Amino acid sequence: MADTTKQAIPGAVGPRRSPWPRIRWGHVLLYVALIAFAVLILMPFAYMVSTAFKTRGEVFTQPVQWIPRQINLDNFRDALAAYPITRYFWNSVIVGVSVTVLNLVTCSLAGYGFAKFPFMGRNLLFGIVLATMMIPLSSMIIPLFLVVKWLGWVDTYWGLIVPAGTSAFGIFLMRQHMASIPDDLLDAARLDGAGEPRIFASIVLPLSKTALSSLAIFIFMWNWDSVLWPLLVATGDRYRTLPLGVALFESSYGTNYPQLMAVALLAMLPVLIVFLVLQRNFVEAMTLSGVKG
Amino acid sequence: MSTTVDPDRTIDVVGVAYHRPRLSHMQKRNLWGFLFTLPALCFFLVFAIIPIARTFYLSFFTFSVVEKPVFAGWENYRALLDDQRFHASLVNSFAYVFMTYIPVAIIALALALALNVRLRAVGFFRTLYFIPVVMSWVVVSAIWKMIFNRQGLMNAFFLEPFGIAPKNWLTDQDWAPRAIVIMSVWKEVGFFMVVFLAGLQQIPSDYYEAARVDGASGWQLFRSITMPLLRPTLLFVSVIGMITGLQVFVPQWVMTQGGPVTATLVMSLNIYQTAFVFLKGGTAAAMSVVLFLIIGSVTLVQFWLNRLGAND
Repeated sequence: MADTTKQAIPGAVGPRRSPWPRIRWGHVLLYVALIAFAVLILMPFAYMVSTAFKTRGEVFTQPVQWIPRQINLDNFRDALAAYPITRYFWNSVIVGVSVTVLNLVTCSLAGYGFAKFPFMGRNLLFGIVLATMMIPLSSMIIPLFLVVKWLGWVDTYWGLIVPAGTSAFGIFLMRQHMASIPDDLLDAARLDGAGEPRIFASIVLPLSKTALSSLAIFIFMWNWDSVLWPLLVATGDRYRTLPLGVALFESSYGTNYPQLMAVALLAMLPVLIVFLVLQRNFVEAMTLSGVKG
Repeated sequence: MSTTVDPDRTIDVVGVAYHRPRLSHMQKRNLWGFLFTLPALCFFLVFAIIPIARTFYLSFFTFSVVEKPVFAGWENYRALLDDQRFHASLVNSFAYVFMTYIPVAIIALALALALNVRLRAVGFFRTLYFIPVVMSWVVVSAIWKMIFNRQGLMNAFFLEPFGIAPKNWLTDQDWAPRAIVIMSVWKEVGFFMVVFLAGLQQIPSDYYEAARVDGASGWQLFRSITMPLLRPTLLFVSVIGMITGLQVFVPQWVMTQGGPVTATLVMSLNIYQTAFVFLKGGTAAAMSVVLFLIIGSVTLVQFWLNRLGAND
């Protein structure tokens, strides 16, 4: 049976890893389970999207109405008029990009330093860096806030950006990657008379593109989601970031679900688009971080 | 070798005359290495190490965030012993961690095993399951607050059609924590699925082939190859789950503000409210120290257990 089907497809081009000889019931079951789970994952989105286009009267109908009677954009218009969402959005972009750039610089430099130079106290310092990963933000938030207040950085971009300027995880990621760059390559450049900063800039960095892009994705994503710190540092509309904007909207107009969902949808779209475009890199980033358990 | 190095050295000595103990090439290079790490180390010093040290220090004082601290000795810690809100937050945080991350780990491992099979559209499912991970917690919490409304999706779609009485998800002391757990499982599964997938792909496929030749069943393969070789991944998952779970803040802050009463008051939310809403900085600092010690010791215990297990 298996052999005949194989030959019965004259158009089959090239050898496939698993020709589909007959229905494998195990696979069918697997697909059913995967699709069922996909539906569960997508349902909240569908609910959000459909609600964003509904009128307030339509929100909680029985049975659940998945497709609104008409496409109604009023919620988006009213929400944008009531709250400076675009301002929050640009604040998030400015803070997110600055934090990411700062992290790329500090983490790649430190990762290189820890990976390739056996200076005195290196292991101790690296251990301390890793240990800071365990410090919960809420455990140091009071003194951190006092420091930022003392610097006069409350309600400034500085206050939102600088404290997030490096990350232990990022240094770890870069170090793991840069340790795999062959020493011979660096020594050859040294013999040619290149200085250490130049070796870093023209050999090490270009070889670390994958790790750098993974790091950028991670840092940007985490920062985009950050709430507790902006909540303390950005007290006015001027510096408030997008998640805070959504939370604020939620607490003041929380029962106006169509508008809240419109705001949530607007807040979500940029991240979703970036993710779908870069999704391969996302997974690569995750894999890189997961490799070294 | 020495001939090529010598001119360099003389230049050095002439150029930096005060630099009497000459640095060897190796030392000079290592100095560069240290300089490379310096910017990051400065950030850590100012924005992590000094603050955590200050938290320990401030936990021995009474102060509101706006006033001058007054020394109080162990008073803040003694007060925590009778602090009902603090006790509730401890219990709630641990309950949240176990109720969320054990199901998350099981579902994520199952999905990873399913997606590790060579099937069509595996990439599509992986991407899809990962979507909740990249969304911000605030947006997710807003959506689920609506889902858990008395007339929302959860009651109207999953309970009532099956004749189950609707629940007051977010206003009932028993159901509010469960509601947040359900949401968190939905949000976190994708992340751990990818972590497990990465771990599974590290296992050489020859192991499976060899075992299959010997007639091992699927379950035996899973028990004696997959699970033991997945140990580092499991450690990673349990440590990350614990650390992130014990720090959870946003869902409780957005969905219930810790309520009803203290049913969903978790440690981070309690610290935030104590410090910046009730303005009891010293108490909050003491709570922060406790949280720090809990997370530190839990992580160490997990590494230690893993080492014990690995030696078997």
